[in-house]
Amino acid sequence: MASSAHPLRRLNPYLWKYKGLMIPGLLAALASAGFAIVVPVVVREAVDAIPRMVTVHKLYAGTPVEDFLWRYFAYTLVVIGVAIVGLSIISGVFSFLTRQTVVVASRHIEFDLRNRLYDHLQKLSAGFYHRTPTGDVLTRATSDIEKVRRYIGPAIMYAVRALTTVVTVLIVMLLISPTLTLWALLPMPALAVVIFFVSQLVHARTDAMQRQYSTLTSRVQEALAGVRVVKAYTREIFEAERFEDESRDYKRRALDLALIDAAFRPIMQILIGASTILVVWIGGRLVIEGTITLGNIAEYIIYVAIMTWPVASFGFVISMIQQASASATRLFEILDTAPDVIDTERTDQAIHSIEGRVTFEDVSYHYTDGGPDVLRGLSFDVPAGTTIGIVGRTGSGKSTLIELIPRLIEPTQGTVKVDGRNVQTIPLDTLRSNIGMVPQEVFLFSDSVGNNIAFGELDAEQAEIEQAALEADLLANIEDFPEGFETRVGERGITLSGGQKQRTAIARALIREPRILIFDDALSAVDTRTEATILGHLKKHYGQRTIVIVSHRISAVQDADQILVLEDGAIAERGDHDALVEHGGIYADLYRKQLLEEELAGVL
Amino acid sequence: MADETKSQQSGDKAKEATVYDGRLFRRILSFLGPYKGRVLIASVLVLGTAFLGALQPKLVQLAIDNHVVEGDVSGLLRIVGLLALVLVGQGLTAFAGGYLTQWVGQHALYDLRTRVFRHIQRQPLGYFDRTPIGRLITRTTSDIEALSNLLSAGVVSILGSLSQIVFIAYFMFTLNVRLALVALAVMPLMFWATMTFRNRVRVVYRETRKQVSRLNSFMQEHITGMPVVQMFNREAEELRRFRGINDEHRQAQVKGVFYYALFFPAVDLIASLALALVIWFGGTEAMRATLTVGVLIAFIQYVRRFFEPIRNLSDQYNTLQSAMAASERVFDVLDHDAALAEPDEPRSIDECQGRIEFENVWFAYENLPDSDEPNWVLRDVSFTVEPGQTVALVGATGSGKTTIINLLLRFYEVQRGEIRVDGVPIQHLALEDLRHHIGLVLQDVFLFSGSLADNITLGDPAKSLTDVQHAIDLVGADRFIDVLPDGLAHEIGERGVTLSHGQRQLVSFIRALVYDPAIIVLDEATSSVDTETEELVQTALGTLMKGRSALVVAHRLSTIQDARQILVMHKGQIRERGTHQDLLTLDGLYRKLYELQYADQERTAA
Repeated sequence: MASSAHPLRRLNPYLWKYKGLMIPGLLAALASAGFAIVVPVVVREAVDAIPRMVTVHKLYAGTPVEDFLWRYFAYTLVVIGVAIVGLSIISGVFSFLTRQTVVVASRHIEFDLRNRLYDHLQKLSAGFYHRTPTGDVLTRATSDIEKVRRYIGPAIMYAVRALTTVVTVLIVMLLISPTLTLWALLPMPALAVVIFFVSQLVHARTDAMQRQYSTLTSRVQEALAGVRVVKAYTREIFEAERFEDESRDYKRRALDLALIDAAFRPIMQILIGASTILVVWIGGRLVIEGTITLGNIAEYIIYVAIMTWPVASFGFVISMIQQASASATRLFEILDTAPDVIDTERTDQAIHSIEGRVTFEDVSYHYTDGGPDVLRGLSFDVPAGTTIGIVGRTGSGKSTLIELIPRLIEPTQGTVKVDGRNVQTIPLDTLRSNIGMVPQEVFLFSDSVGNNIAFGELDAEQAEIEQAALEADLLANIEDFPEGFETRVGERGITLSGGQKQRTAIARALIREPRILIFDDALSAVDTRTEATILGHLKKHYGQRTIVIVSHRISAVQDADQILVLEDGAIAERGDHDALVEHGGIYADLYRKQLLEEELAGVL
Repeated sequence: MADETKSQQSGDKAKEATVYDGRLFRRILSFLGPYKGRVLIASVLVLGTAFLGALQPKLVQLAIDNHVVEGDVSGLLRIVGLLALVLVGQGLTAFAGGYLTQWVGQHALYDLRTRVFRHIQRQPLGYFDRTPIGRLITRTTSDIEALSNLLSAGVVSILGSLSQIVFIAYFMFTLNVRLALVALAVMPLMFWATMTFRNRVRVVYRETRKQVSRLNSFMQEHITGMPVVQMFNREAEELRRFRGINDEHRQAQVKGVFYYALFFPAVDLIASLALALVIWFGGTEAMRATLTVGVLIAFIQYVRRFFEPIRNLSDQYNTLQSAMAASERVFDVLDHDAALAEPDEPRSIDECQGRIEFENVWFAYENLPDSDEPNWVLRDVSFTVEPGQTVALVGATGSGKTTIINLLLRFYEVQRGEIRVDGVPIQHLALEDLRHHIGLVLQDVFLFSGSLADNITLGDPAKSLTDVQHAIDLVGADRFIDVLPDGLAHEIGERGVTLSHGQRQLVSFIRALVYDPAIIVLDEATSSVDTETEELVQTALGTLMKGRSALVVAHRLSTIQDARQILVMHKGQIRERGTHQDLLTLDGLYRKLYELQYADQERTAA
């Protein structure tokens, strides 16, 4: 417990930050509990006063005082009633203030934690995202944060309230009758213990149920993904039976949980009820003996009721804290991951601009230690303002190569240079703001088309957006969209075709007017005519930009100043188009096939 | 005026919704039908629990008035014993009733879930093309889960809460009608507070849900698109946006906190008000000697107990709402059945020869955009595969080769023309019968999680381990299976990641062999495998096709060279047909395709 509580201790600075809310809130919790406890005392007074008043009233029956007494006693009852309501109002106001401070503070802390997490996530490099599944990161950012919040808010609040209530009620009860208190509270420790164990059991069984639920989900997923095979071999019934097996298992686990659930409340009720019965029995005997009054019994019945929830909440609170502690560990795992691609003391902050020369010197790369080299000893030089084409088969290392230029990943060996300087010495911000990249898998945000283009340039004017769209051969399409540049793309908007997506991504890169423009197979989803149009637009900036074009289509690279052919992470051929065709190697073969394909497609 | 019309309209809509909800509700309840007896027992148990619970304060009253006040210790012990019995009895009925309702609910859920699954599985392939798998998974899992609250606890516990109210009211009125009326005077207030709270909270809840989903989708999107954010130096801007969304989320949550902070003390306050009324009015009555102290104490307890079922009822109303929404989605799936019609009197082929005929087949997956004109993928395709023959399909991507396979297996229905197996139109065959005669081997081999043996037999108990072993020996795959840990019992990981590409192909060959079909339909893998397995695959292919009719989407040089007939597909039509040599001499489309797709293999072989 001591070691697992540790991650929660790291939240203390946040609690401290909101001490202005936390401390008054906890004081209010104290006050609220305190006032609530006075109510039973008033009730006892009333219950005890009534027989006395009845006796006194009977004594004076028929005398002139009777009327006065009647009015006085009636007045007393009203005062008692008002006192009960008044005390409840005061207690209620404090209870309101508690939630408004402590729970609100927990929301503030949640807000801070989430900002910190997101900020940190933005600093982590591609390496982290290769290692960690998206779903995993997302869980930590949502449900783990929520569990931690429950510890900060409700758990702390309940604990304070419960403690106050239990301690004060205990004192008051002990003052009245130690014997009766002992008996009345006999079942209480059992209640706390039962609740603790039950919530442990519930937790374990919920877990087992959740695991079976995921199994069930992957069963469905698999059966539906493989539906073609299932149907071809008419194994529908078998698959249905497998699903039913898993479903049955799930049902069994759900009922395991239901068993605990169903037993939980009755056990609680029996324990609380036992307290009341003990009060009536022992209290009744004490009243008969004359040690206590009937009012005390009424009072005790209310005390038992008041104590129930706080005692029960001890069990819940402990369980909440346990879960929060596991969640906090997962959360800090991310926050403790040091960003690896950052500016260091080697960075020359004086560099503010870039010419665009790109040089690779004996660069190798592998994703995991001891894993195979994806790139093997690459060396080449692209003078500023020239164009380089890179071709090769899937898996030959093309995408990895270009991710090295904007430092999305770092080489495991060798140096990547821009303007003759190691990229690690150029401020990350300067480096990246001079690069426009169109990735192979286009990722657009659920936002308007215009904003997606302007993603590349924060303060872009409408004219600039239009110019970029024009150069990406997308302007005509956008003008056909229902709301032009305001048209939303993605989940709640229109679905763009693969080619439209690619061209949006191209416009997003072009709007930056970058010194280095990188196309990672960025023309694969557009037809050859559109490809030619876009390449034509690019030529207008010839000599001002370094362009890196990765493609599996020869037509996109054949005009480049130099072309590299990658094979298994190494350069197999290099030269310009004519030289490579002349050479008669891999490139020439690819070129010949492309011509054939074009010819075939032309056959009607 | 405008407002009036609006409210009128929304009133009508509400009425409509209620009628609709009623129908939906009854339909959900119909799933409890098979468990009628148990539901009845559970209801009786729940009623019993409510009664025994309400009885206790009454017994306390008797204990005080008849025994404590009278100083009767032995009588007190008797009644305390009775109280204990009632308490334990209440515990037992509550436990039994609670578990039984869960039992019924989980069984009903199981029925519904498996029914939905079987329904989905029965749908034709076109259905899966149209519907994202993720959505179907949600329908069979989380949407059904949302119904669990309603089916397992909902109905019976609503009954429980209602009967609690009735029994408590009953005892209060029998104890003292006037005091009962006074105590219940706060009921309208309580009801009003609960309703107001519920309405407010529903609005806030909707808002928080919206904010939570905004927050989550932002997170999801930006975690996925993180390289883009970093590439375009957008970190500061995106953090600013995230803070904005995060802040709105916080505000919505804080608003929710406000209502809860108000509601809980308000309920306590109303309860105290009832208590104060009981003390005041009860005290006055007691002075008139019409009321005993025991009754007063009993009322103090009843007043407290009364509020719990009311609060529960309003919670239950909320779970009901979300369950209804989920059930609507689930029923929507069940109500749309696109399953292919099975022939009324299916014909059967006892001894399949393996003759396949396509006659003037036209097929389109969908219409052309913005028109009723079908987007033809196959146009007037006719060919015949004689028993035992191998026919190769050759063509560029998108020329219609795979579609031919899909149609033969009746994954889709042809629009024009006819497909026959052994002379029988495939619509006249039971689906199971048709597919039983055909062994499909796809280039992307799909392996299920489970043992290797299960993946070969696909769970058919009629296929013995000897059959499997025999098939393995036939293709000569024992070499690779013997080296696997546990051999045939080897557990395949998710999506078969533990096997190499070539090995997976071998598994799919063995699978087809075990089923011993008359017809083999093969979509050959494009990518080459390692040389060692390549040899195995080559021999296995020979074994597989020997003595069977085979329709092959060919990617291997050897396949086209050995095929009796090659069909050259181009833009949905068969353009050329003949043997490899014939077609090469023709010097048409085939020649180009050959150069593009197969000539390399000859070069590497040479």
